[in-house]
Amino acid sequence: MSAAPAEVKLPESDEDQAADRPWIVIVWNDPINLMSYVVLVFQKLFGYNRAKATELMLDVHHKGRAVVSSGTREKAELDVFRLHEHGLWATMRQD
Amino acid sequence: MPVNGSYALKLDGRERELMRQILGDMRALLMLEPGDLRVRRLYPSAYADDAEKEDEYRMLTHEELRSSRLANVDAVEASIDAKVLNEEQLTAWMQAINSLRLVLGTLLDINDDDQELRFDPDDPEARTQALYGYLGGLLDEIVDAQLEVL
Repeated sequence: MSAAPAEVKLPESDEDQAADRPWIVIVWNDPINLMSYVVLVFQKLFGYNRAKATELMLDVHHKGRAVVSSGTREKAELDVFRLHEHGLWATMRQD
Repeated sequence: MPVNGSYALKLDGRERELMRQILGDMRALLMLEPGDLRVRRLYPSAYADDAEKEDEYRMLTHEELRSSRLANVDAVEASIDAKVLNEEQLTAWMQAINSLRLVLGTLLDINDDDQELRFDPDDPEARTQALYGYLGGLLDEIVDAQLEVL
């Protein structure tokens, strides 16, 4: 298992400062990852309990995607990175 | 069945030999450019609508994604003959197997969640299909063991 990733230093742009909307992290369905694995990753990375992690996984599976976290751009990007490290497909955008 | 954070690794000699070969394949895959279609599932996009932020993200994370997977391969290699794994080692095995499975699934063009793997020994993709199926079973066991203690 890798050590913590390098600190992500993001340049502050006027755009980011003006629009203070939170960023959301979306996990997308994929036909390869096991459902049980996705539940495990959600619990490991976000501390969700089994019920919540399963609910999110089923949303991803049935609806095609689910929002799994939100916050500052820096936090969202770190969450996306950790999900990518675990082989999940996640993207982020402003809410 | 996990006992005090240690996990029994019940693979026979042939399976361990297969894992050794797989590690070689993994190292080769991790040398490929992230733009190579075969490994696209290992380097997914982060920003769907912002090419500039996406480029930035890729520059920041590509090397880390590559090296953390290499670290997993190293860890599996170091414990290939182990009878017992600790939590950290088990996670490395899980990630290495999952990464390879992502690439194999891409090669097989797995695109239907409920697709039944129809195994035809005469199919030129038969070996890949068999390996994909085998790794799925192994991954399932590892995930279950970890879920048990969460």
